[in-house]
Amino acid sequence: MNKILKTMKVQVGKHARVSVLLVFAAALAGCGVNNVTIEGSFPTPNISKLPLTVAVYYDDALKEFAYMEYSETGSEEFNIESGQSHVQLFNAVLPAMFDQVVEVNQMEEAQAGQVDAVFMPLIEEFQLALPAKTKLDVYEVWIKYNMRLVTPEGDYIADWVLTSYGKTPTETFRSAEAGINEAAVVALRDLASSFSLTFTQVPEVRDWLASL
Amino acid sequence: MITEQTTTRIKLLAVLLLGLLAACTSTTVDEFRQGETGIESDESVVILGRRQASDYETRADFVECVGDRMGRGENAINVVPEQEFIDAMFPWFEPRTAPLRTRDLEQLMAEDVVARKMGEFGIRYIVWLDGFTETTDRQGSISCTIGPGGGGCFGFGTWEDDANFDARVWDVGSLTNVGTINTDASGQSYLPALVVPIPLIARVEANACSRLAAQLKQFVIGS
Repeated sequence: MNKILKTMKVQVGKHARVSVLLVFAAALAGCGVNNVTIEGSFPTPNISKLPLTVAVYYDDALKEFAYMEYSETGSEEFNIESGQSHVQLFNAVLPAMFDQVVEVNQMEEAQAGQVDAVFMPLIEEFQLALPAKTKLDVYEVWIKYNMRLVTPEGDYIADWVLTSYGKTPTETFRSAEAGINEAAVVALRDLASSFSLTFTQVPEVRDWLASL
Repeated sequence: MITEQTTTRIKLLAVLLLGLLAACTSTTVDEFRQGETGIESDESVVILGRRQASDYETRADFVECVGDRMGRGENAINVVPEQEFIDAMFPWFEPRTAPLRTRDLEQLMAEDVVARKMGEFGIRYIVWLDGFTETTDRQGSISCTIGPGGGGCFGFGTWEDDANFDARVWDVGSLTNVGTINTDASGQSYLPALVVPIPLIARVEANACSRLAAQLKQFVIGS
């Protein structure tokens, strides 16, 4: 009987320790950085295609892009990973803009692929505005891009800056992570719309298209 | 001497009175017609929220509410869901690219892809909703405590909600603005707490939605 009681005590003790550890871990998690991986769906633009074969090169800086938002006390608050969502967005937009699009991992592949140009997008700046800081009832995301278009040999065609903006209102029972994700998806859609509609209006691009 | 029955009656009366007060939502609808309207059974309407302002945006669930109400009941109208339309029209109806004036719509319709998609949806009218609900005059306080013997709240809170929405109706056939409907609804909400908080919420936005939808339906039909 004593043996059984002893075993039970050991088991209860184990469970209590595990519970305390779990509560402690949860409390620590609450104090740490919140990871937000931007996820969304991006529709294909309804625009006329340009008769071009374009290669796209996603730099590691774009593919692995992450932004850290710090709290007012200087501690890490939100780690926003948006690299893969940018790749997903360009993969939806570019085939609607050009006759053929190929993804390359190196510039040499573009030369071998006989493409008209290589497109290289880069994120230059990312800003986040949280309702707790701005006192507005909206989450806001602002992104600045550097778009580059080069020949397969790497010569300059065009280099221009694009900015995108997205906001979403705060809602009861919606987490800050969901609000940030929503605002970022709106910003990505804004990028897709301005990029696809203004591409041929970039002076250097216009001149290059005229020379083809 | 106050009996238990009298106390219960007083409590019921108080709850009823608060309930009646909570139901006090006043709604004003103004209509300004600028052109003739009418819709065929194979034509549809799309309701879109304006999202250009810097400090607010028309909430998607209010837009959905108006669309749902227009699409049911007597003289129901075919309403294309907002997100489905925006996705199908991408990138022409995003916050930055959406037409702000009928002149912009005229330019947009010159794009073959846009005109074709509009035709596929059978869009006759585009309704632009612009507005928000504001909460003002927050008063009172509620404090809650919890102890080994139980917990409870005590206090009283009140606030006022004001919903103001504009609906501009564009005729896709004539590429003109055929009218504007404004809805202004306001109401006071109460939150008395005697052990348990009892929310008596004024359904301001819901009233604004149903009145605006009813008026829009009549407007589009042309009656």
